[in-house]
Amino acid sequence: MTEIVEHPPETDSNDLGYRGPQTQGGEHSATTMPSDPEWYKRAVFYEVLIRTFSDSNGDGTGDIRGLIDKLDYLSWLGVDCLWIPPFYDSPLRDGGYDIRDYRKVLPEFGTVQDFAALIEACHERGIRIITDLVMNHTSDSHQWFQESRNDPEGPYGDYYVWADDDTGYPDARVIFVDTEPSNWTFDPVRKQYFWHRFFSHQPDLNFDCPGVGDALIDIMRFWLDLGIDGFRLDAVPYLYVREGTNGENLPETHAFLKRCRKVVDNEYPGRILLAEANQWPADVVDYYGDAEVGGDECHMCFHFPLMPRIFMAARRESRFPISEILAQTPAIPSTSQWGIFLRNHDELTLEMVSDEDRDYMWNEYARDPRMKANIGIRRRLAPLLDNDRNSQELFTAMLLSLPGSPCLYYGDEIGMGDNIWLGDRDGVRTPMQWSPDRNAGFSRSDPARLYLPAIMDPVYGFQTVNVEAQMNTTASLLHWTRRMIEIRKQHPAFALGEFSDLGGSNPTVLSYVRTHAGSDGAPGGTVLCVNNLSRFPQPVELDLREHTGSVPVELTGGTPFPPIGELPYLLTLPGHGFYWFDIQAAGHGDAPGHGGQPDFNSLEVS
Amino acid sequence: MGETSPDLYPTTTRYTDAEGQRGGAGPALSALLTTWLPAQRWFASKGDLTEVTIEARTAIAEIGDRTVEQVLFTVPSPIGIQRYQLWVAWTRNYPDRYAHVLIGETNGEFAYDALYDGDVSAVVLSNIADGLSVGILDFAPEPGAEIDRSAHGLVIGAEQSNTSIVYGNSSILKVFRRLEPGLNPDAEVHRALQAAGSSHIAAALGVIEGPVAGKRTTLALLTGFFANSAEGWAMATASVRDLMAEGDLRADEVGGDFASESLRLGKAVAQVHADLAAAFGTAELDADAVRDLFASMVAGAELVAGHVPSIAEHLPAIRAAFGRAAAAGVSSTGDGAGVPVVVQRIHGDLQLGQTLRTLTGWAIIDFEGEPSKSLAHRRAMASPLRDIAGMMRSFDYAANHSGGPSDSQHAYRAQEWAARNRRAFCEGYAAVAGYDPRDMGPLLAAFELDKAVYEVAYEHGHRPTWEPIPLQAVVRLIKSGETA
Repeated sequence: MTEIVEHPPETDSNDLGYRGPQTQGGEHSATTMPSDPEWYKRAVFYEVLIRTFSDSNGDGTGDIRGLIDKLDYLSWLGVDCLWIPPFYDSPLRDGGYDIRDYRKVLPEFGTVQDFAALIEACHERGIRIITDLVMNHTSDSHQWFQESRNDPEGPYGDYYVWADDDTGYPDARVIFVDTEPSNWTFDPVRKQYFWHRFFSHQPDLNFDCPGVGDALIDIMRFWLDLGIDGFRLDAVPYLYVREGTNGENLPETHAFLKRCRKVVDNEYPGRILLAEANQWPADVVDYYGDAEVGGDECHMCFHFPLMPRIFMAARRESRFPISEILAQTPAIPSTSQWGIFLRNHDELTLEMVSDEDRDYMWNEYARDPRMKANIGIRRRLAPLLDNDRNSQELFTAMLLSLPGSPCLYYGDEIGMGDNIWLGDRDGVRTPMQWSPDRNAGFSRSDPARLYLPAIMDPVYGFQTVNVEAQMNTTASLLHWTRRMIEIRKQHPAFALGEFSDLGGSNPTVLSYVRTHAGSDGAPGGTVLCVNNLSRFPQPVELDLREHTGSVPVELTGGTPFPPIGELPYLLTLPGHGFYWFDIQAAGHGDAPGHGGQPDFNSLEVS
Repeated sequence: MGETSPDLYPTTTRYTDAEGQRGGAGPALSALLTTWLPAQRWFASKGDLTEVTIEARTAIAEIGDRTVEQVLFTVPSPIGIQRYQLWVAWTRNYPDRYAHVLIGETNGEFAYDALYDGDVSAVVLSNIADGLSVGILDFAPEPGAEIDRSAHGLVIGAEQSNTSIVYGNSSILKVFRRLEPGLNPDAEVHRALQAAGSSHIAAALGVIEGPVAGKRTTLALLTGFFANSAEGWAMATASVRDLMAEGDLRADEVGGDFASESLRLGKAVAQVHADLAAAFGTAELDADAVRDLFASMVAGAELVAGHVPSIAEHLPAIRAAFGRAAAAGVSSTGDGAGVPVVVQRIHGDLQLGQTLRTLTGWAIIDFEGEPSKSLAHRRAMASPLRDIAGMMRSFDYAANHSGGPSDSQHAYRAQEWAARNRRAFCEGYAAVAGYDPRDMGPLLAAFELDKAVYEVAYEHGHRPTWEPIPLQAVVRLIKSGETA
């Protein structure tokens, strides 16, 4: 096929979808955020699923207008950027990651106009918004696939990867081992096999067909014109496939990402690309692109192996699972930032741990077989930690202080539970619990009409765990989380500082400093984070000689600790306790209560 | 300490060095040392100290108003002369920052332990990097060693027989306090293993050498430092603590299970043994030597039985156990054909405290051998099973260290933890060595029994409440002769 299609069928004028910004004078109307090219390096992200957050029209399903209603809450919490998983038109056989029409909003969520209003409302509150873009595949109900299977010689004949048999690319692993026996599925219509790295109802797009890349870039422009601040690119390692390879991280894939980045940099500066590349850090860094030019592919990548290892470290009461993976994490280009998370809408991924470790995690965190999904664990943060408040605080403190921009998962800020009896990954996608009222305050609908039942058990149920109750209790997890986010923002070293693992005398204590030199006149700083991974109180002696003479000031209360001297610095921590300290340089801002002795060295003689 | 006056002390000290040293003459220094030494942990001669003989003083540096010297001295002891080295800094102003290591004041000058002074440790490091000779001392880098001389030095911990200075995150200088004339095995082994390309040891970076009793002697060893590592002992005891906190879980079910680490540790030890064998060679004990080996074990137990009642009580059974091992010792297959006892250079004092979990795996440190033994003994070849027995005993100690409730449930669970991790260690060892130490049952058990008897004697003298830990191992070993 040689003909390049300018307008994919989904843009036909009889489509009811929104066609772009409704503007009179050529300029689009969506507000854009003030220029701040590296905002994503400091941002606190919050993943929110439109379906699960708030239902504005009482149909039992969350929608865009509902989310708009709750933006004040997210703003109060301190969220800087929303990550919204797919809201596109979809048959919903994979949570919306099976897209039927890229330019249309799933009708039950609202319209493109609603989405434009959401962007506007977010930006008014200083909140940015990024959304998933699935480039690797579409739904088999997408018009492109229907055209492709029905008319192999037509303009979409090559949009997907077709073959006469299922023997190609044998080195590519099957990702959803639970449900898919092969990466090839026979299509009875075209009488050929099509290639799919995920579910068999999600055929992979054929990036060797020039029209595919062009069409996807046009789709990016469509949403960027609307004011969106960036994309999380779903499943990027798999775009291209080549015989004799495992079909991941191929050079062609990187070339396409560079093309996307150019479009963003040239036409939409300040917007970002975030890669979902569930790979080892040494491979993931390739998705930042060329370090020489500061990175020319994605601005951010999720650090997948870190998350399971945080859980493992706490279970083993050993810092090594975390220290090891961070030691193996290479430096990233200057415009880059990691994205880190404790939980998200997917299962707790165990792809990036060794088999031995995976068995270990299964045994430790998923005691019931229903808790296991694919090769992950489908639980929320609170139940994973046996609802232990200290553990939740410790984990959140690490999330907010380890290198990378943290991404919270909706509901974890109030310690929501899960429902492992729901199918697939729905167990962690139950309605947000706003109040003890009907349907957790999520919807006014008949409870039987809810897309998923709200959690109702006595421990995690909405009668007990909800935003309203925690708002009214300043000692709640919600208030605690908000305070910690606030502290993080006051100290740019948390976001921008160099990470340096301190080791220390006690293997169950993870200690590190984040040092930020300061830039553009903004002050730098050093923060020290000490985390007790054990249930039991622990001492630790730290080598802080680099900071001899400095006074560590505890960040939640402002209490100055004894100054750092020649000898190892001794700290004691309660079980699952942690400290955040601001390391104030020697002779700088002498901490109150440390006597008023004059510093003779700094006396000026005129 | 700062109030001391040299006149108050006996004048029997001999002085062999030239006049004109800082701090007055030699007698003043030896007088200071006479009061100061007995309180130092590395000073082994307990009892009355009446005489300190200064053998040599080497001026190292002038730093500001401080004068730094290295001092070699000897003290008499019931078992012969003991030799030590000390680094002394002299200053006219009271050294506030070093008050905790102040040696004393004499003639208006204060002396303190100079190794704690960051300026001094910096000079020592750059002398090594530069390969300087200062007086009788030779500072020498290892060939090709990369030494970061900008790293700031800090004395860490208090050790039995030496003092270690950590330089930033890059290197560690072990200064041997108590000296035995000759090449220190720690330096010797590190060099050999490094040449063999071992990945389980620190890189040797340099040494300080000088003449002691007419022999070229290692005074200090500079090696690479494993930043962000943790001692095996601390990790193992964390695991035991986790087990003991779970009333209803088995050792293989708790989150803090240590067996996978023990397995990797076994592999590392086997690799180090293989490298040592390659570097220093191996030998086979003939029948006489094997007899001597067991005879020395029996003699050791008899010596202990002389002053430790709990061992005296079991002495006949201990003799019998060693006898059984001797009979089977050269024939682990039991057919009488005689499997030779292979000996090689070993670690000599292996236990969890001599292992470091680094970010890339396990490392073994401190190849000095048992500090209380003679240099010849420490450098002699021995069965690698002795190291393995040391690890077996160490797992046992770790399992029982908490000393918590001594009910049978606690003891059972401790035993379960020890057995699980000993098993894992042996499996790891077997995976690399090609033979499973447990197949050498009687011989391994004999080494373990030998070690346990020594431990009972040690605990009896130093920590009586710990005596039951090795004693229960003695009882187990004489009953079953089983290990692991």
